[in-house]
Amino acid sequence: MTIDWWTLGIQTINVAILVWLLGRFFWRPVATMIEQRRNVAQTMLKEAEASQKKAAATLTEIEKTRAGFRAERDAILAAAQKEATAAATSRLAEEVTAAATREVAARAAIAQERGDAEKAWARSAASLATDIAGRLAARLDGTAVRAAFLDWLLQGIRALPESVRQAAAAEGVSLVATTATPLEPVEQDRCRALIGEALGGNAEIAFRVDPTLIAGFELSGPHLEVANSWRADLARIQKDLAHDG
Amino acid sequence: MTSPLSSIALFHLGPVPISEGVVTTWAIMLVPILGGFLLGRRLSLVPSPTQAFLELIVEAVDSQIRDTMRVEPDPYRAFIGTLFVFIFLANWVTLVPGVEPPTAHLETDAALALLVFLAVIRFGVRAGGVRGYLASFASPNLVMVPLNIVESLTRSFSMMVRLFGNVMSGVFVVGIVLSLAGLLVPIPLMALDLLTGAVQAYIFAVLAMVFIAGVVNDAKRPAATAPERKIP
Repeated sequence: MTIDWWTLGIQTINVAILVWLLGRFFWRPVATMIEQRRNVAQTMLKEAEASQKKAAATLTEIEKTRAGFRAERDAILAAAQKEATAAATSRLAEEVTAAATREVAARAAIAQERGDAEKAWARSAASLATDIAGRLAARLDGTAVRAAFLDWLLQGIRALPESVRQAAAAEGVSLVATTATPLEPVEQDRCRALIGEALGGNAEIAFRVDPTLIAGFELSGPHLEVANSWRADLARIQKDLAHDG
Repeated sequence: MTSPLSSIALFHLGPVPISEGVVTTWAIMLVPILGGFLLGRRLSLVPSPTQAFLELIVEAVDSQIRDTMRVEPDPYRAFIGTLFVFIFLANWVTLVPGVEPPTAHLETDAALALLVFLAVIRFGVRAGGVRGYLASFASPNLVMVPLNIVESLTRSFSMMVRLFGNVMSGVFVVGIVLSLAGLLVPIPLMALDLLTGAVQAYIFAVLAMVFIAGVVNDAKRPAATAPERKIP
């Protein structure tokens, strides 16, 4: 067994060259590529982690914003509800006040209407009553009634002031005596004498007939007016009733 | 059948005889060189299946260096990886009919062992300097210096003999059986020879790593753990 030293040297050089060439063109490029890929992967992982953190932060921010929206919505709803309640309360109070005002006004209007109606009915009733009374009194016209009215006329004249009676009885003053029915001349003379006596002088009296008196004896002149008839009484009663109503 | 212990020159380049093993070595060298050169130019971040396979090899070598040497693989990757790839291809070249593996000849194995011996020195000097490397022979104490020197020679010699014996024996046995039993009978032995070749490539690479790691650690240790000199 011998060793070929040339072959040993050549093989040593061959393997050394192979080590250098493969290290230059295979091992180093492939290892570099693996390292690059690892770095890229780590970079991507870091970026992904950063993105994940960013997304989580964004999600948290969104949740916070959403919670803020919810709180703001609740606040807006509460404020709106409070405002609506206040508006409703205010509107209700206004309506209650308006209703009360309207009620008062309606009650006043109803009372006014009722008063007016009552007055109208009172006037109508008074008119009807006087009409009825006039018709009933018309059936009472007669000697006794005329005597009673004459007597009331004389009392009225006597109740007048002295100056009025003297003025009415002065010479040249003509008085008008109005009756519901015509008087006989005798009756006129007697009445003229009684009236002159009541006035305290000789009065110049002219007689006139007015059926609307119903019954009675009225005396009028420049200085006096004595209303003494059913018509005057009924008018006075009607006026009093109207005032009472 | 020629003896595997003899190296026959096919031709001469001047005074230099070129044996069959050398020619086969050149042919074997072309495969990884051309493949690495062509594929190394097409590397991309998104790997093709071929690139993924090559990266798998690199990752396996790196992982083996980390596990065995407990260091980062970058300075040792090219040497250890090339040793494994070359021995593996050289052992498996028996698949080509009529071609004997270069590792079946003593010169090739001696060359590989010589490269490991030189690599141990180179990496030891780089790790701890010349002084650190020489101090590694005194580990654990000065008494061990002669033994460590002898060991550094004999372990390289043992690597050479181990690889040569395993590969040569396989080739020898297959050749004997082939000459005796015909065509199909040697196939199981050839398969066993392939397995032996792969295992021997792995063992050679692992032993190289162990030797380099030993001297690198020993070369670093004196500087790192040297006791402080007390000033009187």
